[in-house]
Amino acid sequence: MSEKVEVLKSKEMQALEEKMTMLVQTGRIDNLIDLLAVVSDNIEMTTQPMVEKMIGTVDNMATAGFVTENAVRYAKRETDKNEVPSLFGMLKLLKDKDTRKGLAFVLNLTKGIGRQL
Amino acid sequence: MKKKILIVGGGTAGTMTANNLAKKLMPEIDRGDVEITMISNSKYHYYRPGAMYVAFHKSEGHEFVRDQRSLLMPEIEFIVDAAVEINTNRNFVKGQSGKRYEYDFMVLATGCEAAPERIPGLKEGGDWFYTYEGARKLAEKFQTIKNGRVLITVNFPKTPNIPHQCGIAPVETTIMLHDYLKEKGVRENIEIVYTYPTEAQSVHNGLFLQEPTSKVLPAIFDEMDIKHKTGFTLNKVDPAKKVAYSEEGEEMEFDILMSTPPFIASKVIRESGLSKALDGEGWLPTDRKTLKVKGLDNVYTLGDTVDLPVSKAGGTIHNQTDVVADNIASELRYGYPTESYDGLVIAIAQMGLSCGMPLWYDYEEDVQPTPCSKLGSFVRKGFNKGIYWAAARGMI
Repeated sequence: MSEKVEVLKSKEMQALEEKMTMLVQTGRIDNLIDLLAVVSDNIEMTTQPMVEKMIGTVDNMATAGFVTENAVRYAKRETDKNEVPSLFGMLKLLKDKDTRKGLAFVLNLTKGIGRQL
Repeated sequence: MKKKILIVGGGTAGTMTANNLAKKLMPEIDRGDVEITMISNSKYHYYRPGAMYVAFHKSEGHEFVRDQRSLLMPEIEFIVDAAVEINTNRNFVKGQSGKRYEYDFMVLATGCEAAPERIPGLKEGGDWFYTYEGARKLAEKFQTIKNGRVLITVNFPKTPNIPHQCGIAPVETTIMLHDYLKEKGVRENIEIVYTYPTEAQSVHNGLFLQEPTSKVLPAIFDEMDIKHKTGFTLNKVDPAKKVAYSEEGEEMEFDILMSTPPFIASKVIRESGLSKALDGEGWLPTDRKTLKVKGLDNVYTLGDTVDLPVSKAGGTIHNQTDVVADNIASELRYGYPTESYDGLVIAIAQMGLSCGMPLWYDYEEDVQPTPCSKLGSFVRKGFNKGIYWAAARGMI
């Protein structure tokens, strides 16, 4: 059993050696080593506050995605379930607390955009 | 007739499961055949592993709290009402408000709580980082200590082969403390003594609850000049004299006692009559594969409430939640559960303030300790501060 493992291991090493030889002969190894160095440097130069700020952005994007995806699915279900509302039906929809909450949110969203313009 | 799924508890387990269930059952929800309701005793969601960072001034605490509603898909009805009674004969849960919540399927995800009062003197003389208030208190003490001894103690449930909350946390915080005191320039004046009880699940006289890690810890601690001692099962604390006593008959003085206190299931579970755990600890008898409460065909449980030997931690829940959601969906569709939990736990241990060690294990294989890394720490902290919320929402 151990003999078999050894044979397989050396075969794998041989294959690896051949690949590495090719990388060295074609000069590609230099770029790959540089790339590894860049990756390592980036880890070294990254600080905890940087990670927290970056992840904060990712979290914001994920939150926006979650809210939007949920809202679109919800709206689609409601639209499919109900007939196109009349003008009176529209007003009834506006009376709904969640609709008003959402509408107020959209209006505040435009306000938030406005502040940045 | 519309099927009702009730989720009790708005922590990590309840939230992930509610969202995963809503995703899996979307066709049924669209048709109006299924409704999912969650009841929780709080309108807020707390990410509990964040507390230990607060103990070392590495987080404020508010980053780990969000509105529970903002983490749930709109298909889930969310009600703030603490469960006070569980009636599995008549399939309902009673809330503090007096309202009855009926169910066809129920998920009990009420977690566990620290119970320092179970050890005489611990509440008055000890500290713990498992709650935000406790972590704040510890942070103040760590901020001011200039010399003396910090004693670390760990208590396990009396019920055999059940871990305390987050098995690796005592090791993590011990090394974090070493780093923190070094950062403050007072480490050489403060002795850190890590103790571990004689019995820790399947490990006897070790330093950790799994053998491979228990064996490598002495070398890791020695390198940091952290004293370590097994066979110290805390059973009494004298808050005035600042002395900790063990079941084995030893006593140790301390300036700060950073303890992993006893843990018990939540009150409503303890009083439900469903548990057979020792000392009224309340762990639910759980089928290790289906994650059903044993003897109840329509009640599932996961997370910190179970009596399984795996860690009571988010990295466990993340792997249990899909099993529970799949099984409930299968039962509704085919009449029987289809998935099986293999005991998988995946996490990154915070081995010091800036070193993270990825770990995984299951019912069959223990954790194989690997060297920690800076990159590992970034991933862990990134998870804490951002990715967790996506996981809770069932996005990953």
